[in-house]
Amino acid sequence: MKSELHFRGERFIIIKLLIFLLLSITFLFADINLKYSNEIRKKFSHVIQPIYSLAALPIDIYNSISTYVIYKNNLILEKKELEKKILIQSGIIQKIPSLQEENKRLKKLLYSSNTSSSSKIQMAELIKVNLNPFHNKIIINEGANKNIFIGQTVIDSVGVLGQVSEINNDFSVVTLITDPAHALLGVNARTNKRIIISGIGDNRKLIAKYIPLNEDIQEGDIIITSGLDNVFPEGYLIGQISKINRKESDDFLSVFVTPSSSLSSNREVMLLW
Amino acid sequence: MVNKIHFVVILILLISMIINLFPLPEIITPYKPPLLMLVLIYWSLAFPNQINLTYAFVFGIIMDVLLLMPLGYNAFLYTVTIYLIIIYYPQIRLHSYWNKMFSLLIILLPYFIMSTFANNMLNISYDILEVFVSMIVSILIWPLLFSVLRFIRLKYTV
Repeated sequence: MKSELHFRGERFIIIKLLIFLLLSITFLFADINLKYSNEIRKKFSHVIQPIYSLAALPIDIYNSISTYVIYKNNLILEKKELEKKILIQSGIIQKIPSLQEENKRLKKLLYSSNTSSSSKIQMAELIKVNLNPFHNKIIINEGANKNIFIGQTVIDSVGVLGQVSEINNDFSVVTLITDPAHALLGVNARTNKRIIISGIGDNRKLIAKYIPLNEDIQEGDIIITSGLDNVFPEGYLIGQISKINRKESDDFLSVFVTPSSSLSSNREVMLLW
Repeated sequence: MVNKIHFVVILILLISMIINLFPLPEIITPYKPPLLMLVLIYWSLAFPNQINLTYAFVFGIIMDVLLLMPLGYNAFLYTVTIYLIIIYYPQIRLHSYWNKMFSLLIILLPYFIMSTFANNMLNISYDILEVFVSMIVSILIWPLLFSVLRFIRLKYTV
């Protein structure tokens, strides 16, 4: 009886298999060319958002418990340290208006058309879910209701994180600068030479591409955004050159850059306008 | 009876989908086993007449949407793997406990090979070593997963 049932099922199964394989292959190729999975995600974002927050729940609970349990002494110490930090930073900020004025004046002298960079900053929180390990994307909790646009710069307190690549109703997707499909135009702060910085999929490493063998470049050089790619505003920190492999047989230097922002351990990020 | 099986299986699959999304420490993440795949394999071994390719395809599509993958990527892989299970399930069911682990290796091997092929075709970066370790990990957690799911099956379905 049971084997008969199994036998009966087997006839349909090959047809079913072919139909499903055909469907998924068509989906794949259509999606790669038309990118309609974004649309689907946007339509179902009210369903997807709760799933994401449910998956992020354990770590949220852990975080809130651990902040609750931290000893009072620690908190007092931390508060003192933070106050000190704020004091120092507000001291630095005092100089900024005069520096901006000076910068403007100097730029006028140089006939540069570069205007000063963005002003509005908004905080967003990360939704910590475990996406495919091969992906360098993160999900943040701000969506279409906050006037976010595609290509918007996302930074954290120490450097550039990436850009917004997909916007849904309640969450959006940020492609990190370490994504293999991502590249941006940076500039070497020491020599003012432009450098293409590209990701390789590893969150601790970036590579600088197409640098000729005789280029003036050193380990420890700081790379900042150039503002010339029309995506990232000028002057934000990307990273530091960590390793230069000089091989005479190659056409270009192979240069590795350590990103300055902690790309894998963030909880809060900032969106720039 | 059959409805009950479907209900329990869908519930367990949804739960394992959410567990699949749990954030893990950065060091472990690349070696994460494809949990939903393993749970699907278990259920299709347990009820090959009810849990078939439709489940694999639908949950693959849902997984693609959730994991920001190109649509159809996981659907393709799941469908092929569950097809292999359904074709060979009479043999696999007869295997002993440790033999089952070995036959799982044989079934997971095409899954991982196909995923690397798909990654190559779609320009998704991956590390072959990480893929290999993830396969070993999924075989190692299989006995535990098996006994948990078996407990659930005996208690709630049959």
